[in-house]
Formats: sequence, C-alpha cells, structure tokens
Amino acid sequence: MKELTFFANIKLYVGFTDASSAALRELHPIAQPFFRPIVDDFYAAIEAHPGAREAITGGQAQIDRLKLTLIKWMDLMLLGPHDEEYYQLRARIGRMHVRIALPQQYMFTAMDRIRVRLLEVIRNEILDDPAKVERVATALNQILDLELAIMLETYREDLETKNRNAERLATIGQFAASIGHELRNPLGVVESSLYLLRQHLKREADAPAVKKHLDRIGSEVQRANKTIHDLLDLARNRPPQRRATSLRELVDSAGEAALLPAALTLHSSVPADLALNIDPDQIRQVLANLFTNAMQALKGRGQLWVEVEPGPDGGTKVRVRDDGPGIPNEERNRIFEALFTTKAKGSGLGLALCRRIMEAHGGTIELEARPGGASFLLTFPDGQA
Amino acid sequence: MEKRPTTVLVVDDNQDLAENIAEILTLHGFATVIATSAEEALPKALAARFDLLVTDFRLPGMTGAELVRRVRETLQTIRAVVMSAYTDDNTIAAARAAGATFLPKPVDLSALSQVLAA
Repeated sequence: MKELTFFANIKLYVGFTDASSAALRELHPIAQPFFRPIVDDFYAAIEAHPGAREAITGGQAQIDRLKLTLIKWMDLMLLGPHDEEYYQLRARIGRMHVRIALPQQYMFTAMDRIRVRLLEVIRNEILDDPAKVERVATALNQILDLELAIMLETYREDLETKNRNAERLATIGQFAASIGHELRNPLGVVESSLYLLRQHLKREADAPAVKKHLDRIGSEVQRANKTIHDLLDLARNRPPQRRATSLRELVDSAGEAALLPAALTLHSSVPADLALNIDPDQIRQVLANLFTNAMQALKGRGQLWVEVEPGPDGGTKVRVRDDGPGIPNEERNRIFEALFTTKAKGSGLGLALCRRIMEAHGGTIELEARPGGASFLLTFPDGQA
Repeated sequence: MEKRPTTVLVVDDNQDLAENIAEILTLHGFATVIATSAEEALPKALAARFDLLVTDFRLPGMTGAELVRRVRETLQTIRAVVMSAYTDDNTIAAARAAGATFLPKPVDLSALSQVLAA
C-alpha cells in the first residue's frame, strides 16, 4: 500500500473530505467581506502584546504587508483546492514563522482568534439554515485544525534539523578531539627535541642562521599547539566565560586574527564605549570566521562593514556585511550546517561553530535577506556590561 | 660524601618523548631510566627504588594513575607526576586521587622542573 503523505494522513484524521472543501467554498462569499476587520483585529492584538510584537521587527510597513498576506491566506483557505500544492504552500508559510522565531504558543492563540471570528460570522450571517451553519462550521474547524497541524509540523522539522546538526557537530567534535590529542605527542617530541638541540648547540644556537630556524620551529610548534588547543576547546563545547568586553577592540583584534589584506577595508562603526558581557575569545572567533568568509568571497578586495544597533529588550545587534557576491538562495538554508561548505578548502565548521557559540551566549546568528553582498546579524540578549 | 642524584623513572608509550624528557631531566642533574609501558615500568620501579615517577596517563593496558597507585603500594613515599594531553576533569581527578601532580601535555618544561625540584 502506498504510504499516505503527511497532509493526506492528517486530512483523514480530522475527517476532511471533498465535501469539506465544498462547504468552505460555500462559506467564502459570506465571510470574505469580514476579512479586513478580522485582520485588523488580529494585528491589533499582536501589537498590544509585548511577546508577540517582538516577532515583528519591520514596523508598520511590515504589518501592512502581513495583513494583506493574511487576507490572501484566508482566501486560499476557503477557496482551496486543498491539495498537496496547498500543503507545500502552507508549510512554506509555517517555515517563515519558524524563521522569525515566533513562539509556538502564539500560533495556537492566533489560529483560535481567527476561528472565533469566522464562527461568529457564520452564526451572524447564515440565518434560518441550521444545516448549512453546521456544515460550514465543521469544515472551518477542520481546515483550521489542518492549518495548525501543518504549522506544528514545520516546527518539528526545524527541531529535527537542529538536532541533526548538533549530532553532526558532536561527531565532528569527537574526531577533531582525537586527532588533536594524537598530534600533541609528536608536537611534544618536536618541542622537547628543539629544547635539547638548543642545549647541545650551546653558543652555536645563537648564530643568526641557526637561531632563525630554531626560532621558526619553536614558533610554528607553538602555533600548532594553539590551533589544537582552540580546536579541542570548541570540540569540548566550553561554556562561555563572560566578562565585560569592548566590542570595538574585539572587532579590531578579530580583523588582525583574520589577517585581512590591505585591499580589503574594514569599516567599523562600533561605539568606543560599547561593552558586552561576552566570552571575548569565543566572540573574536565568530567575528574572525565571518571576516575570513567575507575575505574569501571578496577574493581579498572590497568593503567590509561592522555595524551595531539596539536589539530587543536591551540586547545588541551586530551586523557584519560585505559588498561581495552574496550567498545564493539555494544555499541560504544550509550554510550553518556542520560540514556544509562551498569553498574548495573549507572545513564546513566555521559557521556551524559560530552558531554554536552564539547559541551558548543565548544569542543568534542569521543570514539577512538583503540585496548586495552577504549580511550576517549577530544578536546578543541583554548583553551590555 | 657526595649527594646521590635524585632518580626518576620516565614512562611514556611514545619512546621518543620518554627519551627526550629523560634527557632533559639528565641535563638538570637527575638520574633517569625510561619505560614505554606499565608492565615494563612496574618491576623497574620496584627494583631500583626511584625517588620520582613521571608517567603519561594513557598507557596501554593501564592508566598512569593506576601505575602510580601500584608503585605506591610498595614505595609509599615516591613522588609522582602524571602527564596527559587529555585535560578533562576525570583524568585530572584520577591523577590526583592516586596522589600525583597533574601536568597537561605539551609539558611546560619549567613547570616540570619546578615540580621535580620541590
């Protein structure tokens, strides 16, 4: 037997049939004149609620757009057809809610608000035909249950993706840790042999031609040790050690760590007095990774901006953007996945680690949808020190 | 009478590293013997009554902490250093529980000589 799709299965469960679709089409001309007041009421409730309002960051213009979208949403809900294409479209809307991190509980309340208002319309507008009231009300309840099920499914998918990423990162972390440990012993031999060589050579070790190479071995071993140390640190998923940190200085030192070339100009408009309560080593790593990515996308030549703006609830947003080619649409959803890379020599760890560090700080990292170049937004919660 | 040099048994399954550590300690005036496994180390330690035991934590068949404990059953006063590239809490706690000083790898040579001179 052919396996039912998620949508077919849930339709079967709530008893949604072609008759339900027909009843909804019957409801459409009756309910349609009330869409506008329902939508106004819907967004008035969101604006009045601090928690729900937070998900809307684009002001009145965004609300106006969202209102039109919601009217279209109701049109399609009643007109159908309620097929797989409908499901795909609705799932896409659900994923948009996931992306703006709308808490699930608001989805229930929002759906219920629409349900109450439309049932009210049915009761008030369909007079003297109790059978019709029953028919369209049942179908309305069914489709709204379906809508909710689709929304929740997108949240579940999102959670699964996150879990899968965490698992991948954990596996990679274990690999990295065992390789790191294995490299420490040979480096220990090199380091101690270098020490002994210096002792045996005595004065000769200070001859410039000899000293240059001994020093070089020493500093490269140190660098390798440092890299392993950092790698193990990240694999261990060390909790952030927060302290008041000047963001401006951190941006500068991240620029140095990323070895930005002269042809790439870093424009930092971070205020000198802005201090965040963060782990400086970890956030430097986040910034340096973003800088390195930008440098590679720009092929070493172009503009890089670091901008700061206030975030929600006293938090801080830090935007890192460049004037490079940007990130193709089809890659946008995957760039934070561990082992996903588009670079010939990329490890696919950089952005995954950035995200883990930001999440450990209770913050987020997201790729902004804006034209021209890539733009990453780091959000720190109530982080000002 | 000339003072007998402090004797050290160096144990690491990486022979190059064991030899290097021993050589460095010799330069600092210690008398050293190396072993590359716990099986080799145990009889050597008991036969020669070493003052000090410097061992890697990860040895085949037995941890460095376990080796320290075994040696101490006979030589209660031997001082011990356990080294490891694994610096997690469990490793450090196991080393300390055996009565050894823990040093992370790569071993900082000045830290090692400080511990040994103490």
